[in-house]
Amino acid sequence: MQTHDQTELHDGGGVADHIHPEPQTFVRKYIFSIDHKIIGIQYLITGSVFFVLAGLLAEVIRTQLMHANGGVVDANTYNEIYSVHGSAMVWLVVIPLLTGGFGNFVFPLQIGARDVAFPWLNMLSFWIFPPAGLMLFGSFLMGAPAAGWTEYPPMSLQGQAGTSMWCAAIFLVGVSSTLTGINFLVTILKMRAPGMTFTRMPLFVWAQFATAPLLMIATTALAAALAALFMERQFGVPFFDPTKGGSPVLWQHMFWFYSHPAVYIMILPAFGMISEILPTFSRKPIFGYKMIAFSSVAIALLGFTVWAHHMFTSGLAPFLQLPFMIMTMLIAIPTGIKIFSWVTTLWGGKIRFTTAMLFAVGFIATFTFGGITGIFLSAVPFDLHAHGTYFIVAHLHYVLVGGSLMGILAGTFFWFPKMTGRMMNEKLGKWTFWLFLIGMNGAFLPMHYQGLLGMPRRVATYDPQFQTINQIESIFSYVMTFALLLFFGNLLYSIRNGKKAGSNPWGARTLEWQIPSPPHYYNFKHVPTVFAAPYDFAEPLPYTGLEEELTDAPGPQPASVH
Amino acid sequence: MSQRSRNDPVVTLDRNFWVVTAGFAVLSIVGVIFWIKFPITQYLPAAVVEADEIDQLFRFLAASSTVLFIYVVGYLIYFSIAFRRRASDPPDAIGVQVHDNHNLELWWTIGPAIFVIVMAVFSVRIWYGIEVNNPGNGLTVESIGHQWNYTFRYPGVHGEIPDAMHLPVDVPVTLEVTSTDVIHSFWVPAMRLKADMVPGAINTLRFTPKYPGTYAIICTEFCGVNHSVMDKQTVVIQRRADFDKWYSGWVAKTKNVSDALPKVGAGAILLTGGNAAAGQKVFAATCSACHAVGPFAQRIVGPGLKGVLHDPAHPTLVDGDSASTDNVAKILRNGYAGSMGQMPNQTTNRLSDKDIANLVAYLDSLK
Amino acid sequence: MAVASVSYDTHEEPVVDRLYAETRDLRLQGFLLFLVSDVVLFSSFIFAYLYLRNTGQGFPPPGIGRLDVAFAAFNSMVLFGSGCTMHYALENWKHGNFNRYATCLIATIILGAMFLGGQGYEYTSLIVRDHVTWSGSGIFGASFFTLTGMHGLHVFLGVCYLTVLLLQSAHGVYTKQKFFGLTAGTLYWHFVDVIWVVLFSIFYLI
Repeated sequence: MQTHDQTELHDGGGVADHIHPEPQTFVRKYIFSIDHKIIGIQYLITGSVFFVLAGLLAEVIRTQLMHANGGVVDANTYNEIYSVHGSAMVWLVVIPLLTGGFGNFVFPLQIGARDVAFPWLNMLSFWIFPPAGLMLFGSFLMGAPAAGWTEYPPMSLQGQAGTSMWCAAIFLVGVSSTLTGINFLVTILKMRAPGMTFTRMPLFVWAQFATAPLLMIATTALAAALAALFMERQFGVPFFDPTKGGSPVLWQHMFWFYSHPAVYIMILPAFGMISEILPTFSRKPIFGYKMIAFSSVAIALLGFTVWAHHMFTSGLAPFLQLPFMIMTMLIAIPTGIKIFSWVTTLWGGKIRFTTAMLFAVGFIATFTFGGITGIFLSAVPFDLHAHGTYFIVAHLHYVLVGGSLMGILAGTFFWFPKMTGRMMNEKLGKWTFWLFLIGMNGAFLPMHYQGLLGMPRRVATYDPQFQTINQIESIFSYVMTFALLLFFGNLLYSIRNGKKAGSNPWGARTLEWQIPSPPHYYNFKHVPTVFAAPYDFAEPLPYTGLEEELTDAPGPQPASVH
Repeated sequence: MSQRSRNDPVVTLDRNFWVVTAGFAVLSIVGVIFWIKFPITQYLPAAVVEADEIDQLFRFLAASSTVLFIYVVGYLIYFSIAFRRRASDPPDAIGVQVHDNHNLELWWTIGPAIFVIVMAVFSVRIWYGIEVNNPGNGLTVESIGHQWNYTFRYPGVHGEIPDAMHLPVDVPVTLEVTSTDVIHSFWVPAMRLKADMVPGAINTLRFTPKYPGTYAIICTEFCGVNHSVMDKQTVVIQRRADFDKWYSGWVAKTKNVSDALPKVGAGAILLTGGNAAAGQKVFAATCSACHAVGPFAQRIVGPGLKGVLHDPAHPTLVDGDSASTDNVAKILRNGYAGSMGQMPNQTTNRLSDKDIANLVAYLDSLK
Repeated sequence: MAVASVSYDTHEEPVVDRLYAETRDLRLQGFLLFLVSDVVLFSSFIFAYLYLRNTGQGFPPPGIGRLDVAFAAFNSMVLFGSGCTMHYALENWKHGNFNRYATCLIATIILGAMFLGGQGYEYTSLIVRDHVTWSGSGIFGASFFTLTGMHGLHVFLGVCYLTVLLLQSAHGVYTKQKFFGLTAGTLYWHFVDVIWVVLFSIFYLI
């Protein structure tokens, strides 16, 4: 807090007009940057690196499962690999990419802000993240965690030294997420451009608005669980060890109280992306704007009331099973509203099938499938059969790969031009889409059948009756990996060699497309005023104050005192 | 936005839309018939009565969501094709500027709500039959998970049976599962049932075996390096006569096997004159670290001891002897070592004979 | 963005600096949200404690007597007293009574330190006299020392922060209109008080 002599009266300038001078050194500009756009891209790059690593682990898993007797790695290494694969994909890839990455880059632009509410805190959030990721992957050096991404005690109490490292790494990621959640929530509540009322916010902002409290609240609950597990492992403080009076089931409650909302952290922003992409390429308003917006919030709220549906076989008292079953089924209603609204948005459109649009449409199909198997699992009697089997593996990969990852890919093709000023290669993009769609469904669809017939999850070797089906899945997973290699190749190639994008290659109507690509350091020359929701393609753009954006007019001057 | 939506164009659906919708209906009917006819049991036998009910639920869920999926993805594909931008369209062509339709949105809120209610009723009915209103009082069996095998305990059989769990057909079974080390799970795919084996707690499954056969037991909770191979043991469901033969074989085989610990002292302990109040003090000082005064399933290290002498569901003690005051005194004197835990003997616990008499009186008073 | 109108520390005299007012509002909201997430952290451990208390071995576990309620009640009074002095410190600042503000703030810091001393005494007597330890006394030791220790750490950080505030205000960092740091310190201190009410109830009273 600095001294301000109250005699000084800034000329009209509140926070929105308060500009810091643009940093000039490489370190302050690209490394320790406080610019939300740079931080967003830093998240995207770091998350992508971790994605490649965790993806390689996935291919080791699939290669191991080519034969019923395994043979690529031994059982303990296999257990380490899938545990780190799961943990990394959830905490180092999907959550950071969707919130820290796309969230940071896109939503402040969409609400007409010059930065997030706490830029320094934003930088801190980011810089906690890479060390945490390195710790998680580094745990391989000391015996990685090997009890799955859920690390149930007492198994995790017996786990190798790296399990404590896992606790610390995930704790750090959690701190980063919590700070990001606070930052985003304040930004959305307080930093919207004049006239940007809640019912005029783009749906991606709504999605981040529903996600931020989840990041803030659920992640802190996980931090408590991780701290307890760490204390028990390192100092013998009894929370979970039954021989000392603790309860293994307590961990499951604490873990899932976070990790179920985390599922929505991983999907709501993707919902938001789809809700931006569909109207843009259908050239018509999103159907049922308010219902889509409110259903995000409903899903976020309901998300806190269903965690114990992961514990139907853990000995949950029957009188608790019932409410958790019913609440879980209720989530189908807001999710259904979203899906129906998206499908209806396509009706009557003039649809341009760019790669981003293909991924968005593919997302609806695969996510619907994953959502439906989720309804299956909410029914306790069916869950008694399917829990802990490949049916669960199939379900979670349909929502995370067919949902979150498809959303990330759609979002990348959509916002890449804004981030870099260049287009990604569309032809290669379409190949990516079709190969990815085929590979993804081929790899995960048969797993449902496999699980129903008796293949448990987290096994390094398995009953030979499942060998053929596993081989089919593995081959399709290689197809999926190939598609992703195409994607990354496209990405790297297009950064330097892509076609120039211009400010608004898609003819989109949200604010970020009305300014140059990539945007200036200060985002907007003048903070715009908003007077309608962004999706009316028949109307002129509902903004004023943007007239100078694409001209040579000078940008705003940094405040003299700050 | 809300004002403008009143200016939305009037939407009319063309003939193609209805043709396609009817096509989806035909596909849906085919899908539903497929699931009704689908021979699940050809791939996976239904070994217990409950399995049929769970299969019914699965069929219902699969059939109804097939319909849902056909319509959602069907319209998705149809709209994608029918409303694609054609080469002849001008570059700035826009779609039909329709924002919302309150009736439609109301229906697709109510529709899924009804579906959820139907599904909930169906699920709850089956859930109630399996989890709540299931007698399962014909035979109580315990299964204990270890790294990395299962053992089984039967009333009247001393010690644990290591290889397979035998069950007679048509007798309601209560299966109580627990673990001695980490969390395991007891899953028999042919029974469609599963319970986690949680150390320090006892979970219960109730079911009635129906089809004789040998079915694999599979662990589905990760339990360590050999988790993958914890699927070698079986449940053997057999006719009553065969089961009785197997069972009496084990009773005879273990008849003379008493507990493994050396005997402490000799002769019976005089239990008359035990004082329950004094026993309660001893219990609090010596026993309560490992035993709760709660139901059997409320385990700390050993089982909960409320009603140890009066629990019809547990007519035998951990060592397989019948629950009598003398047999309780015997455990107190000799200690116990087995998969339900380790209990020190009289000397280690520093209990006098009088203490034991008081303790037995106290335990007897817990009903 | 509207000019900030409602805030915790506005007083009769309007804040003329719009940048300051808006920044303060942002920070206030961020700080409140931080406290919310801190509440969740405590709630998780409180849930764990209550959950463990109601499963397994019964409570309190064998060999552990009742805690010394009288002493803890006295210590609580010390902490609540510091809450009152903190309140008056902020009020006096707002009214321009800077000397009384300083007195109240110093009293708060001393009372906070006294509370920590009392907690140290309680810990020592539990560990030395009753042999109740963090890792060796089952779920009671684990929950009690973890939760009260977390709270004690918050009090300690609070005492440090209040000391910084005292020094800052002595150096003229805050003015009669611009004193967000003091507002945050007061909110934080009240938050620590409220958490203690809950912890006192669940450990000493039930």
